[in-house]
Formats: sequence, structure tokens, C-alpha cells
Amino acid sequence: MRIPYRWLREFVDTTAGPRDVAERLTMAGIETSLVGEGASELSGLVVAEVLDVAPHPAAGTLRVCEVSTGAERYRVVCGAPNVRAGVRAAFAPPGAALPGGRRVAVATIRGTASEGMLCSEAELGVGEDASGILLLGVDAPVGGNLIDYLGLDDAILEVEVTPNRPDCLSIVGVAREVAALTGGRLRPADCAVRESPAVTTAGWRVTIKDSELCPRYAARLITDVTVGPSPAWLAQRLRAVGLRPINNVVDVTNYVLWELGHPLHAFDGDLLTDRHVVVRRARPGESVVTLDGQTRSPGDAMLVIADAARAVAVAGVMGGASTEVGDSTRTVLLESAYFAPASIRRTAKALGLSTEASYRFERGADIEGLRDALDRAARLIAELGSGQVATGVLDAYPTPRRPLAVALRLERIQRVVGACPPRALISEILRGLGFPATEREGGFEVVVPAFRRDVSIEDDLVEEVARVWGYEKIPSTLPSGALALTRRPRHMVARDSARRALVGAGFREAVSLSLVDPAHLRHLELSPDDSRVVGLQNPLAADRSVLRPTLLFGLLEALAVNVRRQTPDVHLFEIGRVFEGRGAGSLPREETHVGIVLTGQRAPRAWYAARARVDVFDAKGAIEGVVEALGRGEVGAEPAEAPYLEDGRAATILVQGAAVGLVGELHPDVQKAFDLPAPVFVAEVSLDAIAALPSRVIQYRPLARHPGVQRDLAVVVSTEVSAAQVSRAIEAVRPPWLKRVALFDVYEGAQVGAGRKSLAYGLLYQADDRTLTDAEVNRAHAEVIERIRAELGAEVRGADEAGGVEPAPGGTRRHEGPRPEAARRTAAGAPRRETPRETE
Amino acid sequence: MVDQRVRTIAEDAREEIERAATRRELEEVRVKYLGKRGALTRLLRSLPGLPAAERPVVGREANEAKARIESDLEGRGTALDGVERRARLAVDRPDLTLPGRRVAPGGLHPLTQVHDEIVDVFTGMGFAVAEGPEVESDYYNFEALNIPKDHPARDMQDTFYVGGEVLLRTHTSPVQVRTMERQKPPVRIICPGRVYRRDADITHSPVFHQVEGLAVDRGISMADLKGTLDLFAREMFGPDSRIRFRPSFFPFTEPSAEVDVLCFFCKGGGCRVCKASGWLEILGSGMVHPRILGAMGYDTEEVTGWAFGMGIERVAMLRYGIDDIRLFFENDLRFLSQF
Repeated sequence: MRIPYRWLREFVDTTAGPRDVAERLTMAGIETSLVGEGASELSGLVVAEVLDVAPHPAAGTLRVCEVSTGAERYRVVCGAPNVRAGVRAAFAPPGAALPGGRRVAVATIRGTASEGMLCSEAELGVGEDASGILLLGVDAPVGGNLIDYLGLDDAILEVEVTPNRPDCLSIVGVAREVAALTGGRLRPADCAVRESPAVTTAGWRVTIKDSELCPRYAARLITDVTVGPSPAWLAQRLRAVGLRPINNVVDVTNYVLWELGHPLHAFDGDLLTDRHVVVRRARPGESVVTLDGQTRSPGDAMLVIADAARAVAVAGVMGGASTEVGDSTRTVLLESAYFAPASIRRTAKALGLSTEASYRFERGADIEGLRDALDRAARLIAELGSGQVATGVLDAYPTPRRPLAVALRLERIQRVVGACPPRALISEILRGLGFPATEREGGFEVVVPAFRRDVSIEDDLVEEVARVWGYEKIPSTLPSGALALTRRPRHMVARDSARRALVGAGFREAVSLSLVDPAHLRHLELSPDDSRVVGLQNPLAADRSVLRPTLLFGLLEALAVNVRRQTPDVHLFEIGRVFEGRGAGSLPREETHVGIVLTGQRAPRAWYAARARVDVFDAKGAIEGVVEALGRGEVGAEPAEAPYLEDGRAATILVQGAAVGLVGELHPDVQKAFDLPAPVFVAEVSLDAIAALPSRVIQYRPLARHPGVQRDLAVVVSTEVSAAQVSRAIEAVRPPWLKRVALFDVYEGAQVGAGRKSLAYGLLYQADDRTLTDAEVNRAHAEVIERIRAELGAEVRGADEAGGVEPAPGGTRRHEGPRPEAARRTAAGAPRRETPRETE
Repeated sequence: MVDQRVRTIAEDAREEIERAATRRELEEVRVKYLGKRGALTRLLRSLPGLPAAERPVVGREANEAKARIESDLEGRGTALDGVERRARLAVDRPDLTLPGRRVAPGGLHPLTQVHDEIVDVFTGMGFAVAEGPEVESDYYNFEALNIPKDHPARDMQDTFYVGGEVLLRTHTSPVQVRTMERQKPPVRIICPGRVYRRDADITHSPVFHQVEGLAVDRGISMADLKGTLDLFAREMFGPDSRIRFRPSFFPFTEPSAEVDVLCFFCKGGGCRVCKASGWLEILGSGMVHPRILGAMGYDTEEVTGWAFGMGIERVAMLRYGIDDIRLFFENDLRFLSQF
């Protein structure tokens, strides 16, 4: 809300300048900034009188005017249609400065010299009207400084008022704050009305049908009205605060709205049927054409102002076109009422119509002060000579507001604030804010004025005292009290462990919006109408209208962003919640997931690095790392199908036998849908599900003191047989001394024949109490070989047998890059002695 | 006087050791003299055939010669090692200005980093962490926080609705309510989490993150709030940072305060970031409204409490000088890798 400083000063005596006032208001909770410190660009502008107007000799639309500034006369060419002899107008003589640094000089216009210019609102930068010159009132002093006359150099305070302070949506309200803050004196608005004894309100009636929605309705009658433009000073003040001048009657209601904060409405009294104002709920099917020309159908929950015949206004929101004040209006009924805030808010929301009036009524107007606003407006109309104020006020106020008194204890101030100003200062603060206070034992009894609807309990007063006193006076201490356990909850610890594991594995963390495009749901074969989908009723955009059921959409969008911006190798993860609806009315299920996506090369180009593309095992390995970091054991997998994963390249992730998520290669259709050029590998698991499983209990095992023996083993099986099956078979044998089984090579190719593959394992045999002999190891190893042969029908070759485990080159190895250390065979397949450093 | 044979062997050996240019040549010398069939070995083996008078003398001299040869071999060997190493190094010189071999680094999102730091400061001050659902009921998000229906304060937080009374939480305050419902004072928690508001421009994201704090106990005052946030600001923004409290309005606190931190770009002098005010708005706070404490069954004459809330994005933007909030959610690696 814009508050011209000079206008403010009419209501408060203070020595504080505009900058100081803005600062103090801000530090008292009313954020204020200075938007203009006067129209510093303007200079040399004067009030001039147009003495004579003659046609331009060369141009039909132009006129040559004789203009006087008292001391001097100018010949000015002017194209404005509203210029005529005798008017006073804004004039820029040669040398004057206009907005934008424009200097006025003598110019020749169609052959005639023009000594300066008569200016429009737009040319002066004070308004938008460019249709004619700015005409000034007869009170404008010819030759006087235009800037002073119009107050163009006034500083404007832009005040941001919080919803609890409707009283500050007015100049008087802000003035009251300034008075309390600076110790200045508040000057009340002059509301004394000179009523015309000749006319009365006799024959006029106001009836409130719903006193809950309208507890008070007051009105005054103005007769002998002459509607016309407002005087320049009034129009200029309205323009300065951002309101558009309309006519002398409507402008006065707006002027008083700004000054006192109370919305008023002017009806054309002669158009009100039976001189009867009825405040009632709208009837079914009833409609009102509001001042903006729209037809509104309020409905019976909403309040209207009606006459004997029909609704003529939407109460507290907007007046109706049928009773609008216009040029022909001779009688005005001025309304000043109080409407229930919640009802106005509902109405304004329902009609999608927020006005200066509804904005104030829904925050709470001043039920006691509405008469002052009414009288002030009537007084101004009379003062402007626009009409006669009838004797008497129509004022329906069935249940007057009961005064509210609240006790304020000094002890409470101390307790809440941690400090307390001196008693005398508190008293002064309360008085300054307009709260009558009586001294009581240990504090005050405070009467809450009607314009402070935000104050109803003791702590509200505590705040009033503290904020005017100044928050900077509150000391800075630290809370004392018992120590409490502040360990982070387990799920947060799990989240952090997972994050660390993934960052350690080279993944960047992504954070994506949890509102996603419902179009993506088809990748999950989910309909947007599915009850499991949590959709928004009022999304900002259609492509952000459902809560994510998976982390993948956000991650894939992130991949696409990077690939599009020339970053083709991306490894991302995100940890966040996904949502699953549980039917209308209940809160959805929220589950924390870990999602990862990879595409492109495994490692950045570097002089030492081999180039290799990521594959599904990068994704799986990352998940294994997470599960290990959480101490939840090993990760298993079994073939799975998912609509967004490629057939035969997807697996369910198992932890302790429980399915916790999926890993796989993104289906090409989905890849295409997200505009991703290269294959994408993804995994998503439920962190909550993993964390809910029992964690590994760490128990120290003594380090082996005797060397172990490493034996390699190649198992040639059908490609249908999974590595997990082979491992299970080996472990099922459980020979004594077998300490570790490690798969170190996978091979498919000519050496083993079509449809078959070779899996090479390193087995470590080790006893706790002695060094094993070759004979013992051979016996144990032979047993393993025998059992696997029998169980899987596999061709098994021990490392010490002819041919060894090293397949001939030319086949497909299921890993890329240099061969792992373990695959290197010792000379002649001899058992390799291992130093006992691995205990697994 | 030294036996002629021993002397010849010793002299020859010394000469040949000196001449050996490589380890291999040196080894050949060793074999020639000290090997199983080496000259000195053979001499020593022939001792028993010598006359008894000569035997001790030749034997001693031969053993002395053997010791000398061994020591010469070792000395020459060490010297040759040095020569060989130097020769090798002369051709095999790694360029240590090459970048080191690294595992490509991952990294945490800047919002996570700032989140963790804020949470760390407060857990260090004795606050426990509490979390709650992102999809909430109108009751927990508004009603229980003294924001009734049809109240203009609802305009302060433009809300996404799921349907009926279900909405996306606009702040993490519902977690405060849920915690107070379960727990009697003293309560000292922080509530980090994701929140939603129907608002989008370069400083507002419809999805963003907050950390809120709540302390309820006997003798908790606004002065403690100030002290706690003072400490937080110094931990978060450096030891020179200063904060100021400015009265404001939140429906759930009374009195309420907006907290500004001294602009760390201009140190209060006024700049573009702080819009010339010298201060940056960083969080909202206040004393918990007695109506809320009362509804939780707390005795408002016994206990008081304060609460605060800040946006993690806002803190991160100020700290790193980021001017567009959308960057956080795009996940462009060129952005992420800067933190």
C-alpha cells in the first residue's frame, strides 16, 4: 500500500523524515520501503492559465494558445481536445525538465513557434491519461510551482501489511504506528459533518436480514449532487497511491478508504427501489451485474445488498452497475458497513474477485470506526460542493460489540520476552497504539480498540509492547534445561550411509522435484486415474501434477538434461520419498527410495583409463555397495519383469531373501521417450525396506595364523544355469576348510561351445590350527568338484587338471577392462600359497 | 709372506671385480672364484693335500682372500646397482605433472550439504531430528497451527491440494504438532524436510526444503531464541555474522520475528544482493502461540516455547551466490560438480 509522506504527516506530528519513518516502521513489523523521494527529475513546471485559444494556421487539429504564468506570457501550440480559454493547466515553459531527462525548448510546429508545452498526466509521469492536458482546479495559483501544488515531490512509502493488521491498510493506521514509535502526536481525521437542515433521511430504511454476516450497516443520504471530475489535488492524491480518479463522489469514497481504511460504497439513491436497503443472502438464481460489467451469481451462502426489488451489490466485494453513480446522479446513498470477514473471503474466492474493499473486509474492518468514515466522506462531498448532506444517519447495529479487556502482567512479558521494559514505558506504548490501559497490581488492564481485531489475548499485548519497545533490546541468551538424547533417527542414519556409499562409488547426488508429469505413468503401466497415483487438484502445470511414484522419472529427466547439454556420461542417484495413494481421504504411503541411473562411459576420459561403457552390473554393484554400507548382508537377484525395463535384462533385488527393488536396463521405448541416445541402466530400491531388515551383528573372528591354499575351478554349464545356482551348489557342499569362494571369470565362446558358459571360481582352503597338506586340499577340492558335477551336470575342471581354467582367447568375457588379479594363474597350475590375510 | 697362488687368485679376482660392468658379469666373477668349481674354492678344497707346515698359513690366507673377494663383490654389486638404476632412470622418467590416477569422484547435492550443516549445528546444540509426512491433513498443516479456514493468513502459503482435507504440507510445522502430541515438554527438535507451495519463479520453487526448530520448556524465552539463532548464524555464516530481529506476523507465533542476517557480501554497506538494505532475510521465528501449546495439553502458564523455520534453498542461494532456484532441481552436472 502506497502512503504519500505528506499525506501521512496530516495525521501525525513527527520530526522523523520519510527515510527514518520507513526504517522505524520496518523495525516495528510493518515492512516499509521508500519508492520515490520526490519527482527529482521534474523542474521548472508551473501552473498556467490559458487566456486564449486560436486555430493553428496550418493544421486543423492543432491550436495556438495564449498562456499566462502571471508574470509572463507564452504562445503554445497544443493538440489536446480539452484545451479552452479560462482553464488552469500544467505548463512546462522552455527550460523545464520532464520525466526521462527531457528538456522543453522553443520548437516550431507546422510553421508556428511553440514556447513550451501544456502537459498531460502521461507527459508529467503522474498518471496514464494522455488524452488531454492535465486541467487544474480554480484554486491553482497561476504562476505557482506545479510540483508543490500537486505534491509531485512527495516521498511515497510502500507499506507491506501482514494479514493481521488491516488497521494499517490506511494512512491513519500507519500514522498511529508512527506516533507510537516516534512519540509524535496523532491528529485524528476531521469527521464533523455540516448536515443540511432542509433534507432528512426520512422515508429511507435499512434492514439487516442476516446480522451474523452483517453486524452493522450505516448509510448517509446526499442530495442535490452534481457529479463531475474531482479537483486536481484530490485526483492527484489518488493517482499518487495508484487509484484511478473517476468522479467527485466515487473519488471521495476511495480517498476516505485510503485515509481511514474503511471501504465505502456510493449508490445512486434514486435508483434504489422504495428507498429501502436490505442486507440479505442472495436468493437462488439471483444475479448481479457488478461495476466491472460481469454478471455474478452469488448463491445463497453469500451476502448481497438489495433494495426492495433486487440485489444491487455483492456485499463488501463490489457494487452493482444498476445503481452506479454517474453524470446524471442527483441523490447518493453512502454505505459504510461491517461484514463478517470469513464470509467476505469465501465470497471473494468463490467469485474470483478481490477488491480493495474485500481485501480489507476479509481481514477485518473497524466496526466502531465505520461511522467516522461515513461522516468524513459526507463532509468531503459537501466541502467539494458536490452535494448536500441530509440530516440523520441510517445506522443498523443490532448487537453492539462488547468491549474487550485483557490483563497484561509484567511477569508475563518477562517470561515470554526474556526482558521487560519499565512500567511507564509500557503505559506510554499502549497509549500510543490506542489501547486504553489502567494500572493494576503487577501490570495493566488493557482495553482493546475495535480496530485491532488481531489482539485478543495477553501474549498479543506482549508482542505489541515488545515490538514498539524494540526487539533489539531483547538480550541474547542460550536456553538451559536438561540434556536430551539427540541421536539422529535410524532412517536418517541409513540414508546418510547410503549416500556415502554411492558418493564413494562415483555417483553424483540429484535432487529432483517430486511433482512429475502424469504422461510418464504409462511407463509403469499406471493410469493417472489409478487410486495408487496421488494427483493434485490445483497443479501449477499439467506436467507437474502428480506426486512421483518412483524416483526414476526425475532421474531420467536429469539424464536427459545433461545429455542434451553435452554431458553424455552421467551417473546419478537420488534418495527421496515416493508416494502411493491409499484411497480418498487417507494420507498416501510415503516410502524412501534409493534410485540410480547411469548412461555413457564408466569413467571420464583420462590418460590412464580404458574406455568402457557402463552396464547393468554398474547399477547392481552400486546397490550392493549401499546394502553393504547398511550392514544388511549380501545382495541376491532373481529374474524379473517390469514394464520400463528391457525383457530378460531385469532382476529383483533381494536382501536377506526379501524383494526390495529392481535393477535392469531401461526399456528402449522409455529411453526414447526421455530422449536418451545411449542405453541407460537403472536401479531403485526401498531404503525403508532394507533398513527394516536386521543388521549384521559384528563379531570379531581371530585372524587365520596358518597359510591357506588357493585352488581355482572352472564350471562349464548351460547358459540357462545362473551364477547364483553354481555358487549355491558350491556352498551347499560345505567342505571343511573352505573359507572363501570368489567368482573371478565368466566366459562364453568357442572353447566351451554354444549354449554353454564357463564360470571360474577361486576357492581358498584354510585350517585354523595348522597348515593343510596338499593331500588334504586335494581331497576337499575333489569333493567339491564331484558334487557340482553331480548336482548341476556341469563339466568341472580343477585348476590342477590339464587345461586349467584359463579359457582360450576369442570368447566373450563377461567383464571388460584388464583382467582381475585373481585370474592370473600360477605356473603349472600349482597350488598357490596364500598368506593368511583374508579371513572371509 | 703370502702364498703365490692365493695372491694370484686374489689379485685376478680384484681386477675382474673392478672390470665387471653389470650384475651378470659380476656374478660370473663370483662363480669363477667362489663358485662350486671356482678357483678359490678349489684351492681351499686342496688344502688337506698340502704339507702340514704350509696348511695353516695357506688356509688362513685363502680364507682372508675369500672374505676380501666377498666384500669386494658386495661393494661392486652395490655400486653397479646404483649405476644400473641411474641408467634405467635416465630413460624411464615418469612425468609427474601428469594428473594423478583417480576414481571419478561422486558428490552430494549442495542442498544436502547445506541441510547436513544446518542439522549438525542444531543437533550439536541438543536438538533431536524429527520428520513427518509430506502429504498432510489440513488439520496438521493449518488448523492445529492456528490458521483456521477462511483466514487470510492462508494466502501467505499458497497450497497444493490432493483432495478433501488432504494437501501437500506448506511447511514442516506439522511435524512440530505431531511431536508435541506424542511428547511432553521439554521438547527440543528440528524438523528438516521437503515442502510444497504453489509458486514458481526464479526465487520460488513449488518444491523446496525447510528446516524448522522447536523448543518448549519451562523458562524458554525470546531471548533464548535470539541467542540460539545468533549462535546458528555464526556457525553457518562465519564468526563475524550478525543477526537482527524484526517484528512480523505468523499465525502460529506470538510474538513473531523475522530474522535478518547482516549481508555477507557487503557487510551491511548495501549491495545488489541485499537490495541496498545491508540485511538478508533468512528465517521466520517467534514464541509458539499459546493457543497451539494449549491444544497440545501443555500448561501455558508452566511452559513457553519458540519456533523458527528457514528455507534450505534460500540459505544455499545466499551462501553460494546462486540467483536461480531452478538450478537446484535441474541436476546439471556442471552445476552439481561445483559443490
